[in-house]
Amino acid sequence: MSSTKIPLDLILEKMAEDAEKAQQRVTKASEILQGQLNYEIASTPYEIVYEEDRIKIKHYFRNDNAENKLKAPLLVVYALINRETMLDLQPDRSVVKTFLEGGIDLYMVDWGYPTRKDHFLTIDDHVNGYMNNIIDFIRKKHNVPKINLMGICMGGSFSVMYSALHPDKIKNLITTVTPSSFDTDRGLLHIWMKDVDVDRMIQTFGNIPGDLMNLGFLLLNPARLMIDKYVSFMENMDNKDFVENFVRMERWIFDSPDIPGETFRQFIEDCYKRNLLIQSKMFLGGERVDLKKLTMPLLNFFGEYDHLVPPQACNQLSGAVGSKDVEDVCLETGHIGIYVSSKFQKLFAPKIVQWLKERDKV
Amino acid sequence: MADEDKQSPLKEVPFFPFFPWMHTAADMWLNLLKAMPSNPDTSIMTQTAVQSRFTRQLDTSLNLLKSFSRMMSEPESASAAANSFNALPEILMKMAKSGFDAAMQIQNHLVEKAGNIGKRTEVYNFENLDQDVFKALSDVYEKEFRQYFKIPPLGLTRFYQERFNEMLDKHNIFETMLAEFFSILYLPIEKSFKVFQEKLQQMAEEGNLPQEAKECYAIWIKILEGHYISLFKSKEYTDTLHRTLNTLEDFIIVRNRMLEDFLQMLPVVTQKEMEELYKEFHVLKKRVKELEKQLNISPNTLTVVK
Repeated sequence: MSSTKIPLDLILEKMAEDAEKAQQRVTKASEILQGQLNYEIASTPYEIVYEEDRIKIKHYFRNDNAENKLKAPLLVVYALINRETMLDLQPDRSVVKTFLEGGIDLYMVDWGYPTRKDHFLTIDDHVNGYMNNIIDFIRKKHNVPKINLMGICMGGSFSVMYSALHPDKIKNLITTVTPSSFDTDRGLLHIWMKDVDVDRMIQTFGNIPGDLMNLGFLLLNPARLMIDKYVSFMENMDNKDFVENFVRMERWIFDSPDIPGETFRQFIEDCYKRNLLIQSKMFLGGERVDLKKLTMPLLNFFGEYDHLVPPQACNQLSGAVGSKDVEDVCLETGHIGIYVSSKFQKLFAPKIVQWLKERDKV
Repeated sequence: MADEDKQSPLKEVPFFPFFPWMHTAADMWLNLLKAMPSNPDTSIMTQTAVQSRFTRQLDTSLNLLKSFSRMMSEPESASAAANSFNALPEILMKMAKSGFDAAMQIQNHLVEKAGNIGKRTEVYNFENLDQDVFKALSDVYEKEFRQYFKIPPLGLTRFYQERFNEMLDKHNIFETMLAEFFSILYLPIEKSFKVFQEKLQQMAEEGNLPQEAKECYAIWIKILEGHYISLFKSKEYTDTLHRTLNTLEDFIIVRNRMLEDFLQMLPVVTQKEMEELYKEFHVLKKRVKELEKQLNISPNTLTVVK
């Protein structure tokens, strides 16, 4: 009979050590939490150059004396879920800063906070209305026929639709974690959305509450997002930098505008349920979104471990468009890691700068 | 003797001594009323016509009371009343028994089924979940309580009562559904502890027991995450999620309808009115934009800040 080898003395010793460390950590954490903390987000300076209804356009200040300036400005279109501040979350992890340092003249859409009056706005209103007006404004301001367009998540889907409907106004298209093919069961959102009674949701809520969406996102991985994340915070709350960055992320993640009801309805019905976009069968403003008309260069990023928009939802796009200059980039990270993880700060934004530079003179 | 009995029938029904008292009281008030001065010049009767109507009304009521007390003094009526009053405790007992039965039914279901939650499923497997306890709760609610909210209200305020009852009904259904949803969400925690204990046991037997609490936590959270992923992909979870969402929506819709009733009494606009306005506003804006396009007026000229 084999005897059980349990190092009970070592375990108890470790427990005593841990208790002492925890005591010290709590004391230090108390000083940090009660002291001066800087958890400001989106601190890179910008000016608002255009406003329409709830929508604003941010124009970031570029060093005009820089030698490496790109001619064509870049417009970044964020999703209607959460806010564009994610691209400028903290000073040392800012996609915005990398773009500016790379010589990009950067504009960014701030979709604002929809109210009940925005309930009836459709995808057509966002794409052929707001986006078209913004792009015309930037084209006119810079006196250029085409600008560069970059879309994030749902904003990427909008950018794909826009580029297919207005290819004459877009020079290069960059899509990041952008769902275009929805017929997959790899992402939980794709599974859950297939049977959701979207009409009833709109009847009930009008606009889809941001908090409801956030609750849904938390339920995608409660072990990590509702338990482990805060355990990690407790373990590191004596580290001021960690606390500041953690609070920045919390501020961003729970800053969730509502989604206009009709836009949500169309996105779920036409995209998640009927998968019309990738089949070039979707209609906006009476016009078919034909992906074969998307002929400008396309750079398509997605995350291998993205549980919201899995690679299968992103990687069909490059084969469906009419462009001959397409590139897929799959990064070994999740939905948000592409933009905020320290590792991908060196890969993601610099790659976009380089890719745009190569095509700026064409 | 028989005559005596007829004259005083209440001797046989000693439980109702108030019938002769009612009779005497009615007589007294009628006599008092008759004793009232009938001269229109007197202070009481001359005050108003309303008072005279009041007196007539009182007269009628007292006559009715007198007839009623006389009728109740009849041996047959008194006997019937006595029987019905004798049956009262029995009726009350029956009502109470019915209530106890319902309560016991709930308790039995809970005792029988609550202990079974999760027992009938294997680890990392969330198919065919035993959610009978919640079905039992729903059944009890459907059979024993829901009918009270379905009683058609009457009168001027019937629609308001109906909406209020509907809100209570939908709220109860939502609460039951939410309890089921939370119980499903709790299953992975329960199962992960079971797997974790087995794993620790195995490690202890192999002499590889983690020395730090952090290692134990890392093992457990990984097991928990695996269980949640399995759960979330199951049809049972998706169905429960959708049913919970549907019952929440049902509740919010009827709650809003009821709130609109209250808001209509206040000098504020209701959500419905605003929705109609927003829709008209949206359509008008679209028309203006279309006209701008036709007239070649750029909206930018109106909205550019800088």
